[in-house]
Amino acid sequence: MRKILAIAWKDLRSTLRNRPALVMMLVAPLGLAALLGFAFGGSGGFDIAATKVVVANLDRGGAEAGQNAGAAIQKILTSKDLSDVLDTKTATSADAARKAVDNGSAEVAVIIPADFTSVVYGSDPAATSQVELYENPTAEIGGSIAEGIVGQVLADFNGARAAAAGAVALRDSGGPSASTVAARAAETFTHAGGVSAGLQVTQRSPKVGKSGTDVSVTGSILAGMMIFFMFFGAANVARTILTEDRDGTMPRLFTTPTGHGTIIAGKFVAVFLTVLVQAVVLLIAGRLIFSIHWGRIDVVILLTVVAAGVAGGLALLVISFAKTPAQAGAIGSGVYLVLALLGGNFTGTAQTGTTYAFIQRFTPNGWLLHGWDTAMRGGGVADIRWQALVPLGFAVAFFFFAVLKMRRRFA
Amino acid sequence: MSIVEVNELRKQYDPPKGVVAVDGVSFDIAEGEIFSLLGPNGAGKSTTISMLSCLLHPSGGDAIIAGKSVVSASQAVKETIGVVPQDIALYPDMSARENLVFWGKMYGLSGDVLKQRVDEVLELITLVDRQKDRVDKFSGGMKRRVNIGVALLHRPKVLYLDEPTVGIDPQSRRSILDGILALRDQGMTILYTTHYMAEAQELSDRIGIVDHGKMIAIGTHEELVKIVGEGARVTARVDHYLEGMAERWREVKGVDKVDVEEDEAVLLTDDPNEVLPRLFEAAAAAGSRITEINVTEPNLEMVFLHLTGRALRE
Repeated sequence: MRKILAIAWKDLRSTLRNRPALVMMLVAPLGLAALLGFAFGGSGGFDIAATKVVVANLDRGGAEAGQNAGAAIQKILTSKDLSDVLDTKTATSADAARKAVDNGSAEVAVIIPADFTSVVYGSDPAATSQVELYENPTAEIGGSIAEGIVGQVLADFNGARAAAAGAVALRDSGGPSASTVAARAAETFTHAGGVSAGLQVTQRSPKVGKSGTDVSVTGSILAGMMIFFMFFGAANVARTILTEDRDGTMPRLFTTPTGHGTIIAGKFVAVFLTVLVQAVVLLIAGRLIFSIHWGRIDVVILLTVVAAGVAGGLALLVISFAKTPAQAGAIGSGVYLVLALLGGNFTGTAQTGTTYAFIQRFTPNGWLLHGWDTAMRGGGVADIRWQALVPLGFAVAFFFFAVLKMRRRFA
Repeated sequence: MSIVEVNELRKQYDPPKGVVAVDGVSFDIAEGEIFSLLGPNGAGKSTTISMLSCLLHPSGGDAIIAGKSVVSASQAVKETIGVVPQDIALYPDMSARENLVFWGKMYGLSGDVLKQRVDEVLELITLVDRQKDRVDKFSGGMKRRVNIGVALLHRPKVLYLDEPTVGIDPQSRRSILDGILALRDQGMTILYTTHYMAEAQELSDRIGIVDHGKMIAIGTHEELVKIVGEGARVTARVDHYLEGMAERWREVKGVDKVDVEEDEAVLLTDDPNEVLPRLFEAAAAAGSRITEINVTEPNLEMVFLHLTGRALRE
């Protein structure tokens, strides 16, 4: 163990003394995140795909035939005018709608309660009814769109109820003018605690309670940049296996009474520690410079360690296929770039379209990015279990094949 | 008593059709002896050292180092040997001291013992004043000294030096050769490879000459030069009538043979010290004046030429 740590410390120290490498590992991701965050104005700007919505209209309707306020909401959500932003399907029950969100086939479920029409058309101004929005916590933009549309419809209903309530209140005062009715309706509508509070949207999440803190665009971008540049940071250290082989220090290590396994393990630890340090520095810098709320500390630690494992494993796998440091650089750059493009490091994970979202599931960085998004929304360890376990599986597989290949090479 | 016993060591790359780099080499080295492997580039010297360092697995044969087999007990062998590779194998972005500390740890040293050995080695390689400087700031000779120092940290029983003086200035070379002789005097066994005949001649108690992966001669310097079967070679030029002068020199006592090659006479003799005054006397008696004369003692170059028909430098 002492020898493993000696090898790891030697490599870590060399990396910390290598200014170009430090710029690549630390300055570049921070700079790019700042630049892109500024370009998107800190609030968005991505070209988004239609949000998949499932509607469960449980509304039993009103006393009179044709009275169904829930159907009106459903009609709006499925209207052609909104087809660019909403891809709406229907479900027969609340459970079916929630299940659709849970299994990822929809991002938002709109569940209209059975008493909705009776409250809207009812005569009791104090009656309340709640339309439930059950949304995937990572569907940041899509959730907001659905919430906005449903909220607007409910506001319209509330306005109508207020107008009706105002008219009823004035009926007994005798023949008011239209303008007086309108004024009273407006007063009722805006009155705190009045009927306007009767129809509300409630939001729920399958895993994460909606946090009051919005995820900043800079935070999402820096998470993507951090993972992307962790790949390069890991590659930089892993490449020393090839440079040492070329420069003769690796063969010399093999002439010492130090086992091959110990030497390779030392290299692995060096790669892992380097990207871990890189991630910690970037996380702290992101907090201090951009005021990014990364999430709960246990979740941040878990995601950071898993990300370091993925970056380290992948870097070692890449160099196990290369014969020279230059070859490793070329192969690695290609692999990391393709993974970043597929995984969403440059585009984020929210609302990226069905096919893209599907492809992201095949990349460790795609899962990690979802994990960071959940973490920044206040998710706990249980909420990111798959976003941690799947990349961890990738990391273990990468390490396994890298070790297998290197054992053959340095046997 | 032999501390190194090499028996029919063989290495073939990519068998069965690959190059045979070492082909049944056998030799032994006594404790405290400097043994040199002399041969041209590509003769198989470095491959032999690599097998004895447990870096390469032999295709055949075995070597026993301090009682341990390089084939079956490589880890034990590695604890016994120190290896100085042909090229500088150090970390250039680390200081001399940092390099020594790191390599000391790889040899299993730690704590006070490690610190003490690093200090001793820095003294030995005379780099105490520059111990905190990065190795990439060092001259070639200084790097070579650190390169050697690394292999001495754990006090190995046998030290392998693979062409340690390649590409350095004469002063550094002298310093390294003196250091090697000092290590021998302290009782260390040394296996030295070189293609510099003079180095092998100066340092070695015994020399093995290798060519095309085979050991073609082995023995002390004196034993090897006897293989050539001739004495010293004297070449001389005179101011006029070389043919006539050559005839007279054939009559001089102690001269075994005289040939005329272009504008010089080539004489063979077992004792040039006795013969040279007589050559001058004969020339004076004939009214000739010797304008140039050279004496070449039989050397390893001549041995190699004699055995292979090629010059060592080829």
